[in-house]
Amino acid sequence: MVGLPYDCLANPLGAVRLTFEKAVASGIDPATFDGKDWGATDLFRDFLYENDGLSQVPTLNDSTIRSLQPNTLVKFRGMIQDMLGNEFYVGAYKDGSVWRTNKFADHSQFPIGSSSDMRVWERRLLYCVPVPGQNSWTESFCQAAVAPFANSTSPAREKRQRENDVDMQDLDHEFQDSPSAKRKREESVPSQSSNLQANKIGETSSNTGLVPDFDGNSFPCLLKMYDSPESDLKLNDVFEFIGVLTFDTELKTDADEVTELNNSLYEEELTHLPPSKVPRIHCLVHRKLAVHDFLSSPTMLEPKPFLVKGIRETLLGHLTAVLGNDGLAAQFMLLHLLSRVHARVDTVAVGKLSLNLTCLNKESISIFGNRLNLAIRNLVPFAHSLPLTIDYLNSVSLAPRKDYQINRLVSGALQLAEGTHLTIDETRLQTGTLNSTGVDNARVLKSLTELQKVEYDFTYYKMDMAADIQMLILSEGKSNILPADLVLPLRPSSVDCYGDVDPELLKAWRWYLATMRSLPHSIEQEMQKVVEDDLVAARQADRSLGSQELSRLLTMGRLVSVSFGDTCLSLDHWQMVKELERLRRERLQGSV
Amino acid sequence: MASDSSPGNINGGPSSPDDIISSPIGNTLSSPGDSTRRKRGRRSTAAYATPPPPASSRFATPEGTPTLSSTNPRRGRRRVSTATPTGAAATPSSTDDGPPSSEAGDADDADETPPMYVWGTNISVQDVNAAILRFLRHFRENPSQTEGKYMRAINYVIEIEGDSLDVDAHDVFDYDSDLYAKMVRYPLEVLAIFDIVLMDMVSRINPLFEKHIQARIFNLKVSTSMRSLNPSDIEKMVSLKGMIIRCSSIIPEIREAIFRCLVCGYYSDPVVVDRGRINEPLICGKQECLARNSMTLVHNRCRFADKQIVRLQETPDEIPEGGTPHTVSLLMHDKLVDAGKPGDRVEVTGIYRAMSVRIGPTQRTTYIDCLHLKKTDKSRMQAEDPMETENGTARSDDDTIDYDNKVEKLKELSQLPDIYERLTRSLAPNIWELEDVKKGLLCQLFGGNALTLPSGASFRGDINILLVGDPGTSKSQLLQYIHKLSPRGIYTSGRGSSAVGLTAYVTKDPETGETVLESGALVLSDRGICCIDEFDKMSDNARSMLHEVMEQQTVSIAKAGIIASLNARTSVLACANPIGSRYNPRLSVIDNIHLPPTLLSRFDLIYLILDKADEQIDRRLAKHIVALHFENPEILQEDIIDLPTLTAYMSYARKNIHPQLSDEAAEELTRGYVEMRRRGNFPGSSKKVITATPRQIESLIRLSEALARIRFSEWVEKQDVMEAFRLLEVALQQSATDHSTGTIDMDLITTGVSASERMRRENLVSTTRNIIMEKMQIGGSSTRLLELLEELKKQNSGAEVHLNDLRNALATLASEGFVVVHGDSVKRI
Repeated sequence: MVGLPYDCLANPLGAVRLTFEKAVASGIDPATFDGKDWGATDLFRDFLYENDGLSQVPTLNDSTIRSLQPNTLVKFRGMIQDMLGNEFYVGAYKDGSVWRTNKFADHSQFPIGSSSDMRVWERRLLYCVPVPGQNSWTESFCQAAVAPFANSTSPAREKRQRENDVDMQDLDHEFQDSPSAKRKREESVPSQSSNLQANKIGETSSNTGLVPDFDGNSFPCLLKMYDSPESDLKLNDVFEFIGVLTFDTELKTDADEVTELNNSLYEEELTHLPPSKVPRIHCLVHRKLAVHDFLSSPTMLEPKPFLVKGIRETLLGHLTAVLGNDGLAAQFMLLHLLSRVHARVDTVAVGKLSLNLTCLNKESISIFGNRLNLAIRNLVPFAHSLPLTIDYLNSVSLAPRKDYQINRLVSGALQLAEGTHLTIDETRLQTGTLNSTGVDNARVLKSLTELQKVEYDFTYYKMDMAADIQMLILSEGKSNILPADLVLPLRPSSVDCYGDVDPELLKAWRWYLATMRSLPHSIEQEMQKVVEDDLVAARQADRSLGSQELSRLLTMGRLVSVSFGDTCLSLDHWQMVKELERLRRERLQGSV
Repeated sequence: MASDSSPGNINGGPSSPDDIISSPIGNTLSSPGDSTRRKRGRRSTAAYATPPPPASSRFATPEGTPTLSSTNPRRGRRRVSTATPTGAAATPSSTDDGPPSSEAGDADDADETPPMYVWGTNISVQDVNAAILRFLRHFRENPSQTEGKYMRAINYVIEIEGDSLDVDAHDVFDYDSDLYAKMVRYPLEVLAIFDIVLMDMVSRINPLFEKHIQARIFNLKVSTSMRSLNPSDIEKMVSLKGMIIRCSSIIPEIREAIFRCLVCGYYSDPVVVDRGRINEPLICGKQECLARNSMTLVHNRCRFADKQIVRLQETPDEIPEGGTPHTVSLLMHDKLVDAGKPGDRVEVTGIYRAMSVRIGPTQRTTYIDCLHLKKTDKSRMQAEDPMETENGTARSDDDTIDYDNKVEKLKELSQLPDIYERLTRSLAPNIWELEDVKKGLLCQLFGGNALTLPSGASFRGDINILLVGDPGTSKSQLLQYIHKLSPRGIYTSGRGSSAVGLTAYVTKDPETGETVLESGALVLSDRGICCIDEFDKMSDNARSMLHEVMEQQTVSIAKAGIIASLNARTSVLACANPIGSRYNPRLSVIDNIHLPPTLLSRFDLIYLILDKADEQIDRRLAKHIVALHFENPEILQEDIIDLPTLTAYMSYARKNIHPQLSDEAAEELTRGYVEMRRRGNFPGSSKKVITATPRQIESLIRLSEALARIRFSEWVEKQDVMEAFRLLEVALQQSATDHSTGTIDMDLITTGVSASERMRRENLVSTTRNIIMEKMQIGGSSTRLLELLEELKKQNSGAEVHLNDLRNALATLASEGFVVVHGDSVKRI
């Protein structure tokens, strides 16, 4: 598809319209387009993935928002923080005898005639935010692809001029909505250059005036999704959305029309998320992101055994250095970083491996805590750390909560994307009294560690949301608030600094963690027998072993073999698990 | 462009039904009498186009009024009722065509006018009119009734001067499915006609009746889920379930305004709302005055109606995984205002509507114009008193066919031969083993029959269960599970509960200073299950409060001028860890649990969940865990009953099944009880072991009733009784096994020391006494304890004697003044 008659990047709506017209011309009744695509998204999909258009699409974030033009194609990576329900809009209408569409746009391109035939369609509203805890190394990659055209647009003066133009038109339109004014406007539209056509009406607010409210961590975006099955998009999923950026017009406060009904029936998202603060994207194409997509070289290599082994060794060495030459802790840390919830059976989250490093006091935490944080941040795409203090527990709400006044889900610290690493520093916890918020928070934390579930507060009821968060707990003694799967006293033998890490190595490690984590895993029949026998024997020997411990051993077995790039549990690895467990127990006993 | 969408468009589509022919319905809507409270918006629905003057100009609405568009539909509708002059009921205040129906109330034949059609359809207004009339007049629930159901209802409404008639959509469907289809598809028009017909009928029955009665449709055949509402539902009648999350304050909405001239004091005629606004007269209407811009609104002579905007949210069970609940706005008018409070689960019937919003005329805000609101709570088992539900006849009417189907299914389920096992399997399927415990819990969930004798004595039907066990045996999970399942229930942890927190407490209202009674957990879980975790860690004070609750099922309060007895008909499910975290098989249950025997005897079943070193079980556990990790977990699910069905099954059984003891069962019960009591007296033993107490027989009755309920059987059969015995025995064998004799021993539960143990101790004391008498002189030298022990062991070759036992025996002797014990040495005095 070379030589498209329109510019998918700068004038996506033009492309949408063209496909629509083509579809209508081919004799398809526009009424049947409800909930279906007439070829527009196919076109964009083709453009983005077949013709390598993806790299040209500029990313929308707090720094690029100033330079991006409305009604152009943008890319946004974010986590679905809230779902605002469905919105009805006039999807297609008859302008005279011609069918027009409003899909992927806030405003109608052409006036909707008073008696025109129209079709009301439905779109979903999603409230998205940048992924919480996203580490800087992932962003550097995203930003690499800021499209050149945004910079090459007309100089500011010209732009302003144009906007004034539009403003004028709009004023016309609002205050003297006479047929003549309308005609004039209609005439003026085609007269503008084709890539400005998309700019048409409605863009009253100047770009520069919009931005001051954004800061790096809260750059929300309202996504309007078309024709996507509900099951596709889930809360807390991380997606890449590509679509048409619009800043709505300012709310027109039309004195005539302010009625209570309007005010109160009015969709809250519009009043509480003023378009001037929250950009909207009419999503054309979306795709779920995995950790891989955040790596700078997404398709690196085949997981060859010797290569994997090599990376494993270096990473283990790195972790050992970070943990003050504690090799055992590094082993467990590696397993911990590879863990993920791969199945849920009733309430049991299979595959989680939370780690509790004990024997950290105020002095050592300042060294190892920071080191660990830094190291983890460099390895995983999303990481978050929570310093636990009485005040903190008592004051914040960790779990998300629905605020019915604004009809929005108020995010809490524990609303995290799948696969986020969470470090909880318990060493700063003093004795003190928890108030009811604190107790709630402690409960939420506990259920997160035990069940990998976060209880969202909907006032009249609570709803459990499944989470997949790697929990690392740093504490002085065994943490009882956060009952981790693994408790291991840290035995650092040196506090030497470790040298800087080679960026190439870092990349390899990131790739290693991301790839190995997603490996499938199975077990052979014979091995299954061995494992079962071992478990039974262990339980006969020590009655205190519960199903949790046994389950943990299996998780470790899985992770050990996965860490070598194997997809099948072997006897060697199982032995290694038992050895690791023995060493851990020894150390636990020694520390008491 | 943007804003000038015509009012015709706002209704969301070409097929939009409110673009009906303006005249017939609009006219006929003339409301009789001055309805002081104009009815809700819907009433006016059809009347869109009939604002008195520019009546039929709807479609030609000038483009110059774009701003109106968004409010138009609603306002327009309201306008109608207000637009009508306060005339006699049947007066056709026609503006254009002749009204088809309301002529002298003779709605049956309107043949003098050409047939009118609902705009854009081939639905004849006259046909609908006649169909409704037929329905109202002739619908009978069963043929034997002489008078139609709705004729009676109308008469009743007139009698109580009500203003609405509830119409069951199922009735409409049964009588005339075509009318039902039309009503659901074109509710605005059909309901308008419905109201007209209703008014005609009323005015014929009682010409003086001035109120405006309107039909409230409820109980549609199909209930839509909020999620599946889509543009094709706009302007249709829908029925939704959800939870109210927010109510706006009541908004007074002006319906009719009166102006006064500031110059001459002339009062204008009432000005009605036209397209959402009041047209303020510019010139004084009095011929002599004609002052310009002198009219001012007289607030207290205007008429207002109540309006409220309510937000409805999906119920948690409808939310798909990984989604957040959807919400929808409801518009409530008049009577429906404040009918529901935030937190209520309701089922609403209404008309789904869309209107354009101020910004962006392409967008639509949707809401539901509410016709009927019903509070529901079917997600958990019905917690109401059976008595209460019978009184609420309105409610029992609501039972839908859907419900009947469900009942059919449940009954089918109950016929399965393995229903008992199946239910057991379905209960907490993720918890391993513990089959018998689950069976006991199942009985608790179903419950026995509560009985109140004429004399006033009452027997509880609730079954109390105590789980005692080693840590890590999923007791808490069981508790949580039961808590989720129970109709109403509180989950507390013993450590965090105080006596008042469990029962009830009196507080002083900080503002008024009045004393207020606040219910605690047990009262709140009336007719439910109160789950108490960590029962052993509860303070004695709090625990003692449970005595009354667990047998009398009431909580009595005598405090600060309030003397009250509150119902707490709750089953208690408690779980405890043995003293010292693990169960010590050497100690008795009492010693292990460390609970007062008085409380213990109030539990029907006491389960000991012990972690036994059984390789077989371990192997199954290992297999299970390995499978969990490496296989597709879906395969593990057996044929179990899902949670909603389980809950429905239970609630149905609790509500409708009240089993009676059959003679056979009663006989078995007697036989078994006698047997149990006799069992203690085995040959060769002189000790008296009390095997069973009257409390046990009550427990047995309750258990067998619950077991009959599980089968949906009205009779307690012999097998139920036998199973009840088995359950009791399983529980008791574990909990009341005398470790020295291996028999069931209720003394262990009631006093803490078993009869055989008591005997053994007595024996030991007397033997020790003999030894001392033999070996030692009064005032002689003292003897070491160990020496005595050696001697004892020699004499007591059969039984093993521990140093502790000896110390106990010596302590008894010392208290008799027979010996003195100094540390390790014993001296006879």
